[in-house]
Amino acid sequence: MTRTMRVDRRSFLKVSAGAAGGLLVGFYVHRDARADTAAFRPNGYVRIDADGTVTLWSKNPDMGQGIKTSLAMMIAEELDVDWQAVRVEQAQLNREWYGGQGAGGSDGTPSDGPLGQRAGAVARAMLMAAAAKRWSVEASSCETARGVVHHRATGRSARYGELAAEAAAIAVPREVPPLKDPRRHTILGTRVGGVDVPKIVVGEPIFGLDARMPGMLYAVIEKCPVHGGRPVHVDAAAALAVPGVTRVVTIDGHRNPTWLKPGVAVVAGSTWAALKGREALRVTWDEGAGRDESSGSLSARFRELAATPGKVLGDQGDVVGAFDAARTKVDAVYEAPFLAHATLEPQNCVAHVHDGRCDILGPLQMPTSGAQVVAAILDIPRESVSVRMTRIGGGFGRRLTSDYAAEAAFVSRAVGAPVQVVWSREDDLRHDYYRPAGLHHVRAGLDAGGRLSVWHHHLVNVSRNRYRLGDTPPESTEIYGLMAPPFADPKKQFDNDFQPTLIPHCRLEYTEASTSVPTGALRAPSHNFNAFVIESILDELAHEGGVDPVALRLSYLGAAADFPYEGDNQAPYRPERLKRVLTLAAEKAGWGTPLPKGRGRGIAAHFTFGSYAAEVAEVSVDAQKRLRVHRVVAVIDVGRPVNPLNLEAQTEGGIIDGLSAAMFGEITIERGRTVQSSFEDYRLLRNRDAPEVEVHIVPGTEHPTGFGEIALPPLAPAVANAIFAASGIRVRRLPLAASGFRVSP
Amino acid sequence: MPTYQLSVNGQSRSIAADAEMPLLWVLRDTLELRGTKFGCGRGVCGACTVLVDGTATRSCVTTVDAVGTKRITTIEGLARAGTLHPVQAAWIEEDVPQCGYCQAGQILTAVALLASHPQPSDEEIRETMSNNLCRCGTYLRIRRAVRRAARGGAAPSRAGGAR
Repeated sequence: MTRTMRVDRRSFLKVSAGAAGGLLVGFYVHRDARADTAAFRPNGYVRIDADGTVTLWSKNPDMGQGIKTSLAMMIAEELDVDWQAVRVEQAQLNREWYGGQGAGGSDGTPSDGPLGQRAGAVARAMLMAAAAKRWSVEASSCETARGVVHHRATGRSARYGELAAEAAAIAVPREVPPLKDPRRHTILGTRVGGVDVPKIVVGEPIFGLDARMPGMLYAVIEKCPVHGGRPVHVDAAAALAVPGVTRVVTIDGHRNPTWLKPGVAVVAGSTWAALKGREALRVTWDEGAGRDESSGSLSARFRELAATPGKVLGDQGDVVGAFDAARTKVDAVYEAPFLAHATLEPQNCVAHVHDGRCDILGPLQMPTSGAQVVAAILDIPRESVSVRMTRIGGGFGRRLTSDYAAEAAFVSRAVGAPVQVVWSREDDLRHDYYRPAGLHHVRAGLDAGGRLSVWHHHLVNVSRNRYRLGDTPPESTEIYGLMAPPFADPKKQFDNDFQPTLIPHCRLEYTEASTSVPTGALRAPSHNFNAFVIESILDELAHEGGVDPVALRLSYLGAAADFPYEGDNQAPYRPERLKRVLTLAAEKAGWGTPLPKGRGRGIAAHFTFGSYAAEVAEVSVDAQKRLRVHRVVAVIDVGRPVNPLNLEAQTEGGIIDGLSAAMFGEITIERGRTVQSSFEDYRLLRNRDAPEVEVHIVPGTEHPTGFGEIALPPLAPAVANAIFAASGIRVRRLPLAASGFRVSP
Repeated sequence: MPTYQLSVNGQSRSIAADAEMPLLWVLRDTLELRGTKFGCGRGVCGACTVLVDGTATRSCVTTVDAVGTKRITTIEGLARAGTLHPVQAAWIEEDVPQCGYCQAGQILTAVALLASHPQPSDEEIRETMSNNLCRCGTYLRIRRAVRRAARGGAAPSRAGGAR
């Protein structure tokens, strides 16, 4: 496999960060020239005021994953301050201070965390140097605790605030001082509540949609109901007659539809007037080539393409002969629907284009790439775009594209005023960048000894990489978890999902299907369905072959081994860590103990983004296919946990998100249009149907990895496998509702 | 454009608005009380929940005309003289929010529940809190926070700890 085939979201982030210049060496040499000289601000992460106030900045935006709190904890630990005394702020986009900024790929903790740790350690060293200078002692004879520098030998001490002005005059050390021994951690590993929670519970206006600029107008945008269509004629008269409506602006869109889609904006003095104005708008559309597409036609196309071999991405052994010879065989087709992200905060952004510049204020998940997109749309230098990030009302991958910021910038330039673009819920569900739909055809088998011997996997789907006009092949973002490690060289970088080289006979094929339906990444991209297929097939094989599902997994994962894993800070992939979470989950869930009739347990495990998870679901199914998920036991291994309180939250949330999507999640297409339009027909799980969740955290010692995504992939297969155990019904297509399952009425 | 004398968080506020304008947009755009959230505009998700004469009400499908002089309480009006409402305090203790966008609506639904049922059963909590969607899946912590608030905030919890 070539390097370019492996470019995924995480690699993209790293490249962005690297291209932004000198991230690792340059990040701490920039001082805030505007700062009060009495304040100590050695880098973009830390500021200590003379009055003792400690302010820490999170370089990445928070959309509920808790990174604003976690990154601050990592800085505070090395700065050695009292967590109670810390104030945490959201950083703005600042290349000099932070390099690339954005949230994705569960990468904040493993990759950005260490930058904050170093920033904290540097600041602490400078405070110690300042104290040493004041006392005419060696800096190495000083120590710190809870925001105070001590010199034990002479019994002297000084609070950080007292040293701020002197520390500001100390030269930045050339080398980052050593980080704390984790055994001395006082903040990391403790249960810390989210830093924005006190603001959230009193309704402070901290979200994107709450952002305001003086003189701001509001805009809503009508888009062609058929995906890929564009406006050809606009009759704006009736819209302009609505009180409050000031302008109607046609948006041509960009060649890359993840940058800017075509549409017609109605601009008004209030959100309500803009919404009313849009109702009166008359647009004639060129519906384009997509108007004949439907979910039915796409599904038929997937089946047709699956009938002929795809592009072979990897092949070892003799899959045909081994499948013939297998004692236990499964030959099955699994189908994935399009999914919407449905962030509860609809897309929105404020932009102000003025004097050749653009100021962006909104819920940007990817401020660095967002600024690039805005600059390209306006044809101004990237340096002329400023970005302030608000708190984000949910991401789930939707805001990896910054189209809503580009829209706001385009409309602001057209009307010459600050503009907030607001999407309605209908806009959000009908014009999302959906999780790709697809079909997996798998032939797999066990040999006479009950061991996994053959795996022949053909994925047919629409490629989100094709849609975003990426320069990597379409298969790389869809099946990447299945491709690696490269067959020819198992010692090369290991990627995600699954270990095909552990199976003697294995072939992976990919076929791309074209579509006009917009696609993009959704939480745990590719993993969110690949895991369903893989872990369900393993379960099918186990039941078919009379092997325990846990034992089958433990046997194919094989002996202890280290596989190099992507990323600078990543521990190697170790199958034994996956085996440990599997074993623990089985134990905690009472695997193998009897259950009443109509109840069943299912297990599934997954590895991605450096993290490991196994989940056991316990469900009951009655004769009317009424499903109740009683309990989910999850075991998570993310190395040394930064904030267990948040890790539990993300695990509970990932499980409920996974169950919501498995139960209801499906976007369907008719006549080229998205059928669903609100939460009535795009259902989410409600409180009454949420299972009890029991989270067990493996006390790891590895460098911490992210956990915003890992809990999601194993959930759907764990539930589907439990449904089989309870009812004998094998689910090969999601959502469950489409197969007649239902939860509470 | 008609004018209305609204009672919001104990204050009388005079505004001019279309009779059919939803209370949500009056609160957010006219009165600049942006803690009340826009989620679906159809009364399905509950993010826009406010109290109208103490009853949990979807402000996105309630016209300003229908509110008249009834007492409106938004998330900004729950705390009294700097003291958090017990439900808000319980929300912090249990560290409920993830993204946080739905939580104003969740909190007001919980406040209305506890006002009518000071000691709700687990079943009543689950059913009532099913009126509000949370996309992040904070439902389990919501249940715990409502139970905590009902107990006066003192009971032990899995989610205590440093703050």
